[in-house]
Amino acid sequence: MELSDLFANLSLGFSVALSPGNVFWCLTGALVGTAIGVLPGVGPVATMALLLPTTYYLPPEGALIMLAGIYYGAQYGGSTTAILINLPGESSSVVTVLDGYQMAKQGRAGAALAISAIGSFFAGCVATIVIAVAAPPLTLVAQKFAPADYCSLMVLGLVFAIVLARGSILKAFGMVFLGMLLGLVGTDVNTGNLRYSFGISDLFDGIGFVPLVMGLFGMAEIMANMTSTERRDLVTAKVTGLMPTREDLKTSAMPILRGTVLGGFLGILPGGGAVLASFSAYTLEKKLAKDPSRFGHGAIEGVAGPEAANNAAAQTSFIPMLTLGIPSNAVMAMMIGGMMIHGIVPGPQVMQERPGLFWGMIASMWVGNLMLIVLNLPMIGLWVRMLMVPYRLLSVAILFFCCIGVYSLNNSANEVLFIAAFGLLGYLFFKLDCEPAPLLLGFILGPLLEVYMRRAMLLSRGDAMVFLERPLSLSFLVLAGLLLAIVLLPNIRKAREVAFVE
Amino acid sequence: MRRRLLLSLGGAASAAAILRNGTARAQAQNWPDRPVKLLLPYAPGGATDLMGRPWAEKLSQAFGQQFVIENRGGAGGMIGTEAAAKSPPDGYTLFFAPGATLTTLPILRKTPYDPIKSFTPIARMGDLVCGFVINPAAGPKTLHETIAYAKQNPGKLAFGSAGLGTSSQMRIEMLKFRAKVDILHVPYRGSADALNDLLPNTVQMMNEINVLPHVKAGKLILLNINYPTRHPEFPDVATLTELGLPDSDVPVWFSLLAPAGTPMAIVEKLNAKAREIAASDDMKARMRAINVVIPLQSPEQIAQHLVADIAATGNLIRDANIKLE
Repeated sequence: MELSDLFANLSLGFSVALSPGNVFWCLTGALVGTAIGVLPGVGPVATMALLLPTTYYLPPEGALIMLAGIYYGAQYGGSTTAILINLPGESSSVVTVLDGYQMAKQGRAGAALAISAIGSFFAGCVATIVIAVAAPPLTLVAQKFAPADYCSLMVLGLVFAIVLARGSILKAFGMVFLGMLLGLVGTDVNTGNLRYSFGISDLFDGIGFVPLVMGLFGMAEIMANMTSTERRDLVTAKVTGLMPTREDLKTSAMPILRGTVLGGFLGILPGGGAVLASFSAYTLEKKLAKDPSRFGHGAIEGVAGPEAANNAAAQTSFIPMLTLGIPSNAVMAMMIGGMMIHGIVPGPQVMQERPGLFWGMIASMWVGNLMLIVLNLPMIGLWVRMLMVPYRLLSVAILFFCCIGVYSLNNSANEVLFIAAFGLLGYLFFKLDCEPAPLLLGFILGPLLEVYMRRAMLLSRGDAMVFLERPLSLSFLVLAGLLLAIVLLPNIRKAREVAFVE
Repeated sequence: MRRRLLLSLGGAASAAAILRNGTARAQAQNWPDRPVKLLLPYAPGGATDLMGRPWAEKLSQAFGQQFVIENRGGAGGMIGTEAAAKSPPDGYTLFFAPGATLTTLPILRKTPYDPIKSFTPIARMGDLVCGFVINPAAGPKTLHETIAYAKQNPGKLAFGSAGLGTSSQMRIEMLKFRAKVDILHVPYRGSADALNDLLPNTVQMMNEINVLPHVKAGKLILLNINYPTRHPEFPDVATLTELGLPDSDVPVWFSLLAPAGTPMAIVEKLNAKAREIAASDDMKARMRAINVVIPLQSPEQIAQHLVADIAATGNLIRDANIKLE
């Protein structure tokens, strides 16, 4: 593309995005998104589903700009609960919990929130430019991935999940596998068999991610807090500055940059792109850090990298939707629904037939990100003050919102009961000192691994060599092997030393 | 004493029944005097939802009461269909029914509803008009070439469907059975996933409406139309019947149903309005944009069509030996 074309397109885009009506819809979307991101359990998919019918009455540009705003607004808001109350609002903020919540416990909630907003903003700006400049070529890159490559990528992802754990590797292994097993519940895509659904129709499509998270994190955290003698109110007593220090910013700069690149790339892949992005960024930072032992105890890089990565991925996941009309996740499927409602057929011709809509949406992403950082930085003080609400009240409010959020997904009372069951399980994990984050990653990636592996085998007509013959697949597998060796070798050596001493 | 109590209770019950019938008749006359719920068994934003929205809008205008779509997705449409079957038959809960939840699901799975006994048909909501597409990189450029290629290279072509038991799977099974060819069926989680593998030629064929924009863009070839008439946007593409494969379409059709026992007065009122709407130019144009045509049918015709399609689906599932559990 010519550079002058790019400027012409972008100026067309900004003229659409900055028209008063569209600025209003963008702000509405960003506000709603932030609000639902902060409310545990209420996610962007449910919200967009709720608002989709109303977009029928808006102009198509306004409708799509608002829906997009909800999505990235939720990415900003989702990290707020992750940091403050140890409850990831979105699958992509699962890793933010690890160090973000620890920072909050040390009285650095303000710094964690600010760095996550700054990281997200930077990533959002870069990703917007990437979409404007390189959407079509990136689409072609994503199409180079065959099922076998995805399968090997998931293997690599699962190895990452083990590296995430702060304590025992054996326990992390166990949790990843348990997560994968939980992910197997539901209808088998290839044979239609129902697995472990016990005739409960709410389980036919598998265990929902939201009830699982609400139980393992939200509910278990509340139970743990109630049984511990340490007064929860003490957390608030030692809130130091609301803004990150110069030192914080310096430490976070590179992680944000690396997270943006990683997230921007993984976001264009369908399926687990955004989730893979946030925790590969975490793994990367942990591996590059001079002192990896700080991770899991409030390392600011552990917030900065993943937050930048998940926002970059959230943004670049628009690429396949915009260029091909293929939704890479449930949110993008909603966006496609939003287009179809207005009689716009998503597909390769949208760029030519509706340039105002296409470039307007891209420009609005930048506008929306700007709005979000302007909105969010001043709100940090407010959020941190939320921690001063007496815990006996806060905990009830959290539970209340979790239940409403889960119920709002499918209008299913059974799913609300699932929260209770997973809450008990989560409390057990807490007592046994097992980390739930690797379990969640296993839960998300396991079913993807299965689907891609079986699809790859089906397409290769049963020849397993397909995983080694494809260069992409082979390199992922080699990388996974290397990483596993790096993680395991010190342990083996240690075990040997112990044996020697004895 | 007890007997007298029972007797009087019985009397009260029958009196109540008479009263209820009376009020039911009165209710049918005033229907609708409050908003009507339109249950749709899939998530918002999908093809069924997109068809439902213009219908909800038009019916609201026609009756002066809001027709509100409630999406109850999950378990391949089973959860929403069950909810509809168990709703009160008072005309205030209607069911926007995709054919597959009535014809295919009850044969493949144990469903908590009966496709015929649980519902009363009201009106035909529309049929999806689509056909088989192939990636040009696969080689064959026409349906006959595709069939010849598949005969020479058994199992080499792969077809991506939106999942097990979906109409697109039924269509490929029908083609395989009728043309006596071997094409690999690869089930995906929804048509978008399948399209993602069709574009780079990882799978070679599909039969879903989301591929049509790519046909227009020249990236894929539309081989035929699985419908009695051609697609207005692709007038040069022949139907399966025209290509020598009659009765192999496997219709993808949608209808409006009510829980069994809904007063016939309401059903007839709705059917008349729905036919009026379907015949209007505005509705035709809007449906055409989403690849839908609406045959005008009476409730009896829909009931007959349903019985016939259940039988046809049953034969296909038996002949092609499709199993889920």
